[in-house]
Amino acid sequence: MDRNQIGKWLRSPQKMSNKYSLHAVYFCTGCGIIEIPPSITTRWDAERFGIIPAPNPRQANLFLITGYVSLKTLKAIIRTYEQMLEPKYTVGFGSCPINGGMYWDSYNTIKKLDKYIPIDGWIAGCMPRPEAIFVAVTHLWTLIEKDMATGYIKYRKNYKQYRANQEKIYGSLDWPPLYK
Amino acid sequence: MNILLMILSAIISLVTGMFFLGLARKIMAMIHWRYGPPIYQPLIDVIRYFHQRAVSHGFIFDLGIIISLIGSLLVVFFLPLGNISSFSNSGGLLVILYILILSPLGLALSSGESANPNASIGISRKLILTLSYEFVLIIILLSLMSQYQTISLQEIVMLQARKVWSFASWKLILPGIAYLLILPAMLGFRPFEIAGASQEISAGPSVEFGGKYLALNTINHGLLHFITIALFVNLFLGGGDLFGIFDSISGTFWGSFVSLIIFLIKMILIFVISVFINAVFPRLRLEQATKYILYYPLSIAIVGLIIVVAIN
Repeated sequence: MDRNQIGKWLRSPQKMSNKYSLHAVYFCTGCGIIEIPPSITTRWDAERFGIIPAPNPRQANLFLITGYVSLKTLKAIIRTYEQMLEPKYTVGFGSCPINGGMYWDSYNTIKKLDKYIPIDGWIAGCMPRPEAIFVAVTHLWTLIEKDMATGYIKYRKNYKQYRANQEKIYGSLDWPPLYK
Repeated sequence: MNILLMILSAIISLVTGMFFLGLARKIMAMIHWRYGPPIYQPLIDVIRYFHQRAVSHGFIFDLGIIISLIGSLLVVFFLPLGNISSFSNSGGLLVILYILILSPLGLALSSGESANPNASIGISRKLILTLSYEFVLIIILLSLMSQYQTISLQEIVMLQARKVWSFASWKLILPGIAYLLILPAMLGFRPFEIAGASQEISAGPSVEFGGKYLALNTINHGLLHFITIALFVNLFLGGGDLFGIFDSISGTFWGSFVSLIIFLIKMILIFVISVFINAVFPRLRLEQATKYILYYPLSIAIVGLIIVVAIN
């Protein structure tokens, strides 16, 4: 952790502050949310790395999707993601958002979340333990430092494709396109 | 010279305000048996907010948060910080009372423009709470004014240094207790964290703030912590005075420096007590909080005022 290096702060304050002030929206979809309370409270204490749960998407920059994504919740996920301010990072938590997991042949969950919103990193496992969140966070730090956590830029560039994927499920969406 | 003093007091208040925010998080973490964030974590957050893209909701939205910040900064100029005072010779308590309401009003403008239902609920709660504690505050200030026969905060601080601190004198202890009872409400701490309840109404008035607006709001929050406690220390704990030990060097540079340090230490003590109260209490409902403030602190303050007036 290079939080104490003043030289780095002076050189790239944006990168460093994005790294060490991750305010997370925990999207409580499936069983993954049960791993969040221990990770933010006494035992694992995520706040020492600057990670706290944000009360609303406007103030957050980390989006954690914990568990399976049904067709209904996908709508809410897309809206929440679009309300967050750039730069924003997304992490899929558990096997379900990666490839469907144990819901791979279900009729109302989606298989790959990556088709609908860009994901910067995955935490595999069913369920991953709270330590895995911290490993993921350290990986995310590396990605931010190397300018590789660029999901939000990808979303802006390929918005038509993402929107087409989203509309393939719902027919038409209730809200206007975010980007032209 | 006055401009330099103004800049100095603004810097002191901003730095101390941010320090208070970090201290609150650290102490809360330690009470939870956690390690907690570093003490400069609010500064990291503010840098991050400034670098994020912001969404504006119109001209009034921009204006409201600036009015709120300027209102808080203006109060700082009227407060004597130890021996440092930019405007505190003029105006006095009435001006402070008048400008103190500017910050919630600016926030109300801003969150009203954002048209988020959570923000409307939050700001209506904040204004009702402000109305109830301002009522108590006016009575506390009235009893101090009639005891010291002046409206100047500077003179009140000097008179305390000459005689005895207000909190230690039996005539003024009741207003002091009333101020301590409304202190969590003024700071927005639990049990009065009803306006900015993050779990209940998504941070209330600041729900639509993101990016630089949130940064300004955080800075304003720190300033409000500073103002509330600085006012208490000035009114009841004798400002930068420590039983007249450092009277021999008063007037010099080192005298001002030492009085500032003493002032800040007193502030930190009061702040830590408020954080302890924040850590152990749950959140009240709005009507419970209003009823409490208009019942216990108000009756204590009125009894204090009657005692002061009857004796004088």
